[in-house]
Amino acid sequence: MLAFVIDEVHPHDVGTILDQEGIAIRAGHHCAQPVMQHFGVPATARASFAFYNTKEEVDQLIAAVQKVIEVFA
Amino acid sequence: MSELSELYQQVILDHNKKPRNFQKLEGANRVSEGFNPLCGDQLTVYMLMDEGLVRELSFVGTGCAISKAAASMMTQAVKGKTREEAQVLFDEFHRMVTGELDVEGEPNRLGRLKIFAGVRDYPARVKCASLPWHTMHAALEGEESVTTENLGPDLTQSAIVE
Repeated sequence: MLAFVIDEVHPHDVGTILDQEGIAIRAGHHCAQPVMQHFGVPATARASFAFYNTKEEVDQLIAAVQKVIEVFA
Repeated sequence: MSELSELYQQVILDHNKKPRNFQKLEGANRVSEGFNPLCGDQLTVYMLMDEGLVRELSFVGTGCAISKAAASMMTQAVKGKTREEAQVLFDEFHRMVTGELDVEGEPNRLGRLKIFAGVRDYPARVKCASLPWHTMHAALEGEESVTTENLGPDLTQSAIVE
């Protein structure tokens, strides 16, 4: 499981763009508001991996994150 | 990517990066807070209402690009409008993002705000765009009540500030 943030981009915007790229992640508090306060972030994006995920799909995730950065550049 | 570019258009990205009227308004006589506990979006809308006119309107808060841009463009659109005109814009904007108003086919006064029409295709994001408007609407309605009141199922509270 990988929770992450992208500078200057709200996790819900990350989620919407990744969704468009065919990648499902969660975005938000994950029922853990105290953790968000602790790290000083409004929310996080969170990718979870399962036994059926492939390396190619991880590459797609990385490419999609690059796309998010491009859109908000 | 066509759908996506319809949601994240340049104008929206620009308002997200450089929100207009993004400050506390000294001398405001209406202050409303909007909060979406599901996503954590939070904003405060400051309004100076004078003789039925929205003389000044500003906001501060945190949220996603859609909510920030919606708040920013709302302050520009509503500033200088009468209470009735602001009410019409609120109704039309709300109907647009919920898909009830066809902005191309039906008459409306939304003008540049039509850029948010794409939000209707993203059900999870509709509240991002409508939260600032609900909050502004609570400020508009504030005159009718001097007590802090709960004005929506989960969205806004407003108070008159003397």
